[in-house]
Amino acid sequence: MRRQLSIAMQAALLGALYVFLYGPIVYIAYVSFQANSVWPFPPETTFDHYASLWQERDFHAGLANSLLIAGGTGALSSLFATMAAMAVLKYRVAGRGLVAALFLAPLFIAHVLIGISSLMFNKAILGLPGNILSAILANSTYATAFAFLVVIAQLARYDWRLDDAAMVFGATPGRAFREVTLPLIWPAILGAFIVSFLLSFNNLEISFYNLGAVPTLPTLAWGSLRHGISEELYALAALINLAVFVLLALLYGLLRSGLLKLDYKD
Amino acid sequence: MLSNRQRFWFLVLPGAGFLVVFLVLPLVSIVVFSFWRTESYTMIREWNIANYTVLFTDWTYIKFLLRSLGMASIVSLVALIYAWPVALFIARHGGRFKLIFLLLTSAPFLTGEILRVTALQQILGPIGVINMALGNFGFEPIEALMYTSTATAIGLTYLWIPFMVLAIYLSLLNFDFELLEVAKVNGARPLRAFWEITWPLNRAGSAIGVVLVFIPTLASTITSQFLGGPDGALYGNILAHQFGATGTWAFGSAMGVVLFAISLIVLYIVWKSVGDLRRSGVTIKGAGEL
Repeated sequence: MRRQLSIAMQAALLGALYVFLYGPIVYIAYVSFQANSVWPFPPETTFDHYASLWQERDFHAGLANSLLIAGGTGALSSLFATMAAMAVLKYRVAGRGLVAALFLAPLFIAHVLIGISSLMFNKAILGLPGNILSAILANSTYATAFAFLVVIAQLARYDWRLDDAAMVFGATPGRAFREVTLPLIWPAILGAFIVSFLLSFNNLEISFYNLGAVPTLPTLAWGSLRHGISEELYALAALINLAVFVLLALLYGLLRSGLLKLDYKD
Repeated sequence: MLSNRQRFWFLVLPGAGFLVVFLVLPLVSIVVFSFWRTESYTMIREWNIANYTVLFTDWTYIKFLLRSLGMASIVSLVALIYAWPVALFIARHGGRFKLIFLLLTSAPFLTGEILRVTALQQILGPIGVINMALGNFGFEPIEALMYTSTATAIGLTYLWIPFMVLAIYLSLLNFDFELLEVAKVNGARPLRAFWEITWPLNRAGSAIGVVLVFIPTLASTITSQFLGGPDGALYGNILAHQFGATGTWAFGSAMGVVLFAISLIVLYIVWKSVGDLRRSGVTIKGAGEL
């Protein structure tokens, strides 16, 4: 009886955490459709905020820049992370602990530090101006760490003997990867891509220091918050949040299917 | 034929080289810059320790650093206490919904800091829905939610608690819950079993969670800027200021170095307090159970 009570309490805490985490997200989506954003009760539905967001010229530029940063970061991070994760899991050689530590290190470094240090390093040492490319490179540091985690978690149960078997039958390492490994592990790679894509798409601090006045969606949101919220921001937030959850649902499906495929090891 | 060793480095080097050039070298460079000085937005290579002298003697900066340290400690502690029962529930009673329960705690993290703070501002604050509702129903508004350090603390917990749940959960995946049954058979009450078995065997999860919450909280800029009000500025805000209006990059570098040094010290202390990481739970294999 007491045990049941304790489990029920834990479940209630989980429920409360969901309310805490999702309440603000759901509320802002609700407000984005309301004419009165301060006290939107009773509801008075309008699509005006979405219409004016669409007419905002900066919004289009910001969206394009954010997509560029996210696409570049996602590609770079998932590539580096997949290669390193495969190496660490497959080859039990000296130095793999150190390599894993290097790839996870960015998780323990504050974003503002990555932002300011890449800003100054690029400018003072490399002589590079801040632009989309430098934003991609700076975002790819911590995004690689997250991508690495995703791939490691997914591939920990992959049986690398499959590749060896292919090579025993005469496949080159490249062919073994393309025809045996890749078809089995692509959900992990796509998962890493989605996570690093989303992180850099929504990153403010690192992109901000590398881009200055070039708008991205997070810097537009930041500007709007600073100068007193304009109501388009609710529409923008609701749209981005929706896109994130759609992509994550996709990722969830992939993780499920990915696990099922890797499962036949046992 | 390449040896395994060569294949390993062939796969690792691109990413490792990238991280060294674009993460490690920039961090090293701010150590160098912190000993320079700035004049009208340009850094001048004149070696001096004036930046650090100011940082460690001017009470203003010490005050902001202490405030941030206090904030990071409180937020980590609250997140730790709250995340434990949640992670326990998911790991032990989540059944086939484990993965979805866990992903639901992590998902909001991916919507980004700025949008999460925007959403929170609509809930807290003077015209947030909580205080508007109280006002409309004839109650006094809750002052603590309006641009205060309490609001910042709530915001930072909101932002980073997913990491804590994730870290403890990953540790619990490797934990054999049968041990608790054995303890029960031998007469231990649930609370005692928790403190003598579950907690010590999963302290690596707690430790990693604490570090993952403490470090970004210590460096927080956006949350305190928008939820903390005029008196709620933290160390990160003053740091960011050096790269904005004042353009004192060398001094900002010194502030960054101090922040980084504290992160490393915290990491070291927590690491030492855990002891052998492998014996206390977290392994790559555990992550595979995700």
